[in-house]
Amino acid sequence: MLGAAGTKRNAEKGQGQMSNAGPVTATSTDPVLGSGGRAAKTIEARGVNLYYGDFHAVEDVTMTIAPNKVTALIGSSGCGKTTFLRSLNRMHELTVGAGVEGEITLDGEDIYGAGIDPVQVRRLVGMVFQSPNPFPTMSIYDNVASGLNLNAGRMSKSQKDGIVERSLRGAHLWDEVKDRLDKPGTGLSGGQQQRLCIARAIAVEPEVLLMDEPCSALDPVATLAIEDLIGELKSKYTIAIVTHNMQQAARASDLTAFFNLEETGRPGRLVEIGPTEKIFTQPGEKATEDYVSGRFG
Amino acid sequence: MPDKIRTEYQEELDNLEASALGGLDLVNTALVRTLEAVEHQDIELAQIVVADDDRIDGRYLEVHQSLITLLATQSPVATDLRLISALLHVLKNIERMGDQCVNVCKVIPLTGNEPPADARMVELILAMGKQTRALIAQAKRAFAERNVEMARDLVRQDDIVDDLNREGFRLALEIGDDVDKREWAMTMLLAARAIERIGDNAVDIGEQVAFVVTGLFREFEDASHPEG
Repeated sequence: MLGAAGTKRNAEKGQGQMSNAGPVTATSTDPVLGSGGRAAKTIEARGVNLYYGDFHAVEDVTMTIAPNKVTALIGSSGCGKTTFLRSLNRMHELTVGAGVEGEITLDGEDIYGAGIDPVQVRRLVGMVFQSPNPFPTMSIYDNVASGLNLNAGRMSKSQKDGIVERSLRGAHLWDEVKDRLDKPGTGLSGGQQQRLCIARAIAVEPEVLLMDEPCSALDPVATLAIEDLIGELKSKYTIAIVTHNMQQAARASDLTAFFNLEETGRPGRLVEIGPTEKIFTQPGEKATEDYVSGRFG
Repeated sequence: MPDKIRTEYQEELDNLEASALGGLDLVNTALVRTLEAVEHQDIELAQIVVADDDRIDGRYLEVHQSLITLLATQSPVATDLRLISALLHVLKNIERMGDQCVNVCKVIPLTGNEPPADARMVELILAMGKQTRALIAQAKRAFAERNVEMARDLVRQDDIVDDLNREGFRLALEIGDDVDKREWAMTMLLAARAIERIGDNAVDIGEQVAFVVTGLFREFEDASHPEG
């Protein structure tokens, strides 16, 4: 019997605490993270089934989202990749009737565990959406600081200034907006707005960044800027990105997971996950080959 | 969703493969003429082979350019990408095979109008040529059928050409003290060497067949590590 996640494993707000030891700065000699990097957390999904009411959307997904790597989720529309992504920070359950089965852990901790606060999960596992969605009534500064206000309680103006600047620099936006921080976020170009949303997501120092088609509304130059940024962010965060752009998955990710739908009405399944280079040169499954080659039949 | 998409791209890739492998037919024709020119010391036919090599070079340039365009415009991946990579290699092999025919034909005028031909040496070169033509045909078929076993068998077939080539050295040493005969034999050794290289290129094409099918590139035989 499937249950709605929000009820089956009802998280009692405020009771549970996901541990977040804060950034662990790597030594300058760290060969993987380089200077300024930190060890991020691993997401493990085991036997995950996702539902919208009676509709079985995603079936039996077991996979690892590796730390300090970019994992791309690819597959045709309706294959469940976005639904799966949204289950990784408990956003799936915000849909009425949504259900989750199986286990999803963040460095071993069950994010659906009893007493775990979903708001706390979403702080640790941030999300960047398809269309840039800065808060329309807020200034650039307030957009970035908005998560801080929710999460960090009281904070001095100078502390907040520091975090806003660090986040905007981290999102490669500081130089473009530093003289107009009080202007509305919606006055920025599409690519700038998306980088603003990334700045907002990293301001609260998450462990994982989930990105759902982050470049689909952007022009090619803005897209490449975001891809460069993703490449840098992985030194600090674990990143999972849903994309329909095959070349983007090939360019920007270290690992690629292919989801497929055998036929309409059936649940989506994970067909294959592996190093991106292998998926795009020598995939193990014919369905993967047909999809990445743009060939069906 | 339609059963098949990107059909034009697939057709184009299929046509380019056929066109590239068709280059092996051009090489076969060049080799037939080259052998005839050696057999009859036919300088005019040799000149035709040299001039006609432009057709093989032209095929190389045309298919190469089209493959680069496909890479740039269609972003091929997986098997398609391996196929295009292999075809770029194979085109180079074909172009080199044509050049080796030219190399043979260019030495024929050096042997003079009535050379002191040794029948055994001429027969040996013709035998090498016949075996090499079989290799070319087998390489083409192995590629078209993606037949790795057939491709691997090219090594065994090429050993026959190599053995004949070594036999040529023995014949040249036995040819005697006559200066003209020795000079002719030296020239024929250059021709035999060029034909032997055509066989090597056919084996290289076989290695590309294995790459397309398995995704792994390994030399069937490594001349620098023959025991490896």
